[in-house]
Amino acid sequence: MRRLRPYSIPYFIWMAIFVLVPTILLLFLAFSDLNLYRLSAFEFRFSNFTIFSEPFIQRALFNSFFYALIVTLISFLVGYPVAFYITTLQEKKKKFLIALLILPLWTNMLVRLTAWERIFSANSIFSDVFGLQIPILGTELAVVIGLLAMYLPFMIFPIFSVLDKLDTKLIEASKDLGASDTQTFLRVIFPLSLGGVVSGFIMTFLPSLTTFALPEVLGWRKVPMIGMEIQKKFILEGLQPFSINQGALISILIMLFSIASFVLITKVDKEGETLI
Amino acid sequence: MMVQNQIKSRVRKTSGLLITILTFLFLYLPIIIIFLISVNNSTRGYRWEGFTLKWYQDLLFNVTNPSSDLRIFREAIGNTIWVALRSTFFATLLGTIFAIGIHALDKKKRVKMMVLNNIPVVNPDIVTGISLMVVFSLLSFQLGESTVLLAHIFFSIPYVVLSIIPKLKRLDPNMYEAALDLGCSRLSAVWRVILPNISTGIIGGALIAFTMSIDDFVISYFTSGIDFENVSIWLYTKMKNPQNLNPTLYAYNVLIILITIGVILYINLKKDRKEKIS
Amino acid sequence: MSKKLIELKHIKKSFGDLTVLDDFNLYINENEFITLLGPSGCGKTTCLRLIGGFESPDEGSIVFDGKIINDLEPNQREINTCFQKYALFPHLNVFDNVAFGLRIKKVPKAEIEDRVKSTLKLVKLEGYSNRMVSTLSGGQQQRVAIARAIINRPKVLLLDEPLGALDLKLRQEMQYELKEMQRQLGITFIYVTHDQEEALTMSDIIVIMNEGNILQIGSPEDIYNEPKNRFVAQFIGESNIFDGTMVDDYLVKFCGREFKCVDKGFEENEPVDVVIRPEDFDFVPPSKAKIVGVVDSLIFKGVHYEINIIVDGHEYTIHTTRYREIGDKVGLVVEPQNIHIMKKEIKQ
Repeated sequence: MRRLRPYSIPYFIWMAIFVLVPTILLLFLAFSDLNLYRLSAFEFRFSNFTIFSEPFIQRALFNSFFYALIVTLISFLVGYPVAFYITTLQEKKKKFLIALLILPLWTNMLVRLTAWERIFSANSIFSDVFGLQIPILGTELAVVIGLLAMYLPFMIFPIFSVLDKLDTKLIEASKDLGASDTQTFLRVIFPLSLGGVVSGFIMTFLPSLTTFALPEVLGWRKVPMIGMEIQKKFILEGLQPFSINQGALISILIMLFSIASFVLITKVDKEGETLI
Repeated sequence: MMVQNQIKSRVRKTSGLLITILTFLFLYLPIIIIFLISVNNSTRGYRWEGFTLKWYQDLLFNVTNPSSDLRIFREAIGNTIWVALRSTFFATLLGTIFAIGIHALDKKKRVKMMVLNNIPVVNPDIVTGISLMVVFSLLSFQLGESTVLLAHIFFSIPYVVLSIIPKLKRLDPNMYEAALDLGCSRLSAVWRVILPNISTGIIGGALIAFTMSIDDFVISYFTSGIDFENVSIWLYTKMKNPQNLNPTLYAYNVLIILITIGVILYINLKKDRKEKIS
Repeated sequence: MSKKLIELKHIKKSFGDLTVLDDFNLYINENEFITLLGPSGCGKTTCLRLIGGFESPDEGSIVFDGKIINDLEPNQREINTCFQKYALFPHLNVFDNVAFGLRIKKVPKAEIEDRVKSTLKLVKLEGYSNRMVSTLSGGQQQRVAIARAIINRPKVLLLDEPLGALDLKLRQEMQYELKEMQRQLGITFIYVTHDQEEALTMSDIIVIMNEGNILQIGSPEDIYNEPKNRFVAQFIGESNIFDGTMVDDYLVKFCGREFKCVDKGFEENEPVDVVIRPEDFDFVPPSKAKIVGVVDSLIFKGVHYEINIIVDGHEYTIHTTRYREIGDKVGLVVEPQNIHIMKKEIKQ
């Protein structure tokens, strides 16, 4: 099959264009006064860094990291047991539950957001039908719960995928050698599931970090988050001088986290099996 | 000793079940709301005013006097579906070719290509969105339908590749050579021998690509410019007043879910039947 | 006198609709190398798993050292298993794999180091402590699996077709080593295989099983020389099996001729199965032989020739170092003590 290699070359070029070029461009934008819409002479400078001294941006950065971390931790504490439980079920039930888990993800994210908006409203179909009022729109709690609802499945899937592929003979071997259920879990099952755990963490943390529609709808823009700031800089205030440059700089910061995540994932799951 | 173990096991099973049920209820709460709104006989989502299918009727059948709102919405749906279909087609086509190419590489290069492949998957949407926006500006592309299509193809291909590579791995490596040995040209061997055996991967990949395209918001938002609207963007502009959202939107969503379920079930049944025969 | 270490009493085990073992009884002595031998699906692996605790019997009891252990979990039994595909922990290196059981028991660090070292020496893997198991060859992984099991000093070691994945030479080497190990350690080895040569090489006792039943138990020599029925005769070694009749005590008739034999106690003219091993035939000049035929085919097997001879329409397979051409007329002779008589099985 080696003769089929050339098929992959155009992909390399394609990816180079769409991944490497933008990154370089963003670097240029971030570290200079280049105007995206009127490409002309530019000079390198660090003035864009002043954006980080603005308290609003600082607050947004802090919030984003803080909430993303909380959401990821809760997702892990809830998601791991769920993934584990599902693997203990029979084949048919397993497939069914996983399909059930995927289903909500097929709905448009924004539509689900509006549904949550209804749930958190004082007066809506939710309160009418369920008789329960959860008026927390505009609060951090709403943002956190919303993020959980969106990204919890992304923690469950990779962990499930790895646990499901675990060789049951390894568990038998562990028991055979005298380990209790708990010891087997701590010494054999959990270490072997780390690949999925890391994947899950990343697939939950990164989107939570950079979300911007959610804090707008559920947080009423009262909760500063970095995603919204990037959106502002690029689109809403995109034509203001240096706005995109500043946005680019903030994005570079976020991208550093992305890159750290790739490195982690390639160490842990070389062929990307846990990503689907 | 035995009883202790039994109790421990029971407790574990029940708590596992409990936490799973709670999780599912939590995740399905918005779905239930979506469904309720779509059958609620009221234009403003304040109260339950009776069961009705009129939103579905309005969405699907109202050709005589659709409101301007509905017309724009339908146009957005049309855009969304048309982009999704083309994006799925090209992403699947290209993704299959690329997957075969990657699979044929030696281990080191393959790992490197897969890392590259996985970047759009791991990257948060917003980063991909602004990256693409920036590239398009650089290349002086006008932001609109074609850039959205390009963007969708871009982020869909990796999923297709991820879906096909495992199937390629399971193939007997000698099959391709057997085909060549029996007289096939390279292309013919791929067409006759490799493709039929990875068909589940291709279909799976196509499904994922379609779903990702239909539901995408962030990337479309950054790459669509001013004129082009798909459902997500249309919705975003209207989200300032969620109560006033036309319930046909929710009807649309429910329909999409049902259709996707239908397609999945159909494919699974076909697979089961194939397996029974063989 | 060996004492009974393990007893399986009236065991019944089913999987769904399939009953694998029914009223199964077996006892195993201390310090014995016992092999469960039989074709796939005969229940030997199920038997092993019941002893190890990975399955529970539907009915019956498993007795270990005088106590019923039906309800004991695998981690509570003083038994260790060597799995078919080794089941080594991929995230641990050789040292940690082998030390696993000791760490669970909270054995002090210094003692662990000592015991791992000496066990690795026993399985000829000194110096491999820090290797990751995925970098080892099949044979090496097999030894790690054995080391991991025996370091815990179990009373019984269960081995589930452990040598299946190895090539012939390696397998033969390991068979010898396993036998030596068992002798040195003084542990009971319960070995499961479908390879009869393996069983003959290593075991003190062989239990031949088919379809959940025990067909014969005995030492390798007993089973080889005195198979009790057709199945055992065909399963172990190669045989010629003929339909015959017991004309009288010490006299059997088959293939139209009467032969002296060493069995008695059958009814007059009782139909029996007559078993003669291929290596028990000898060539004699046709004029002096009771059995005369024509060579039909000839295969060189290194150690001997396998020659098929047609005698009055019956096919005799013999093993000999003497060469004959195809089409040669030959005479065969066999000694009375090499003619084994078995009761015919009642077909159900």
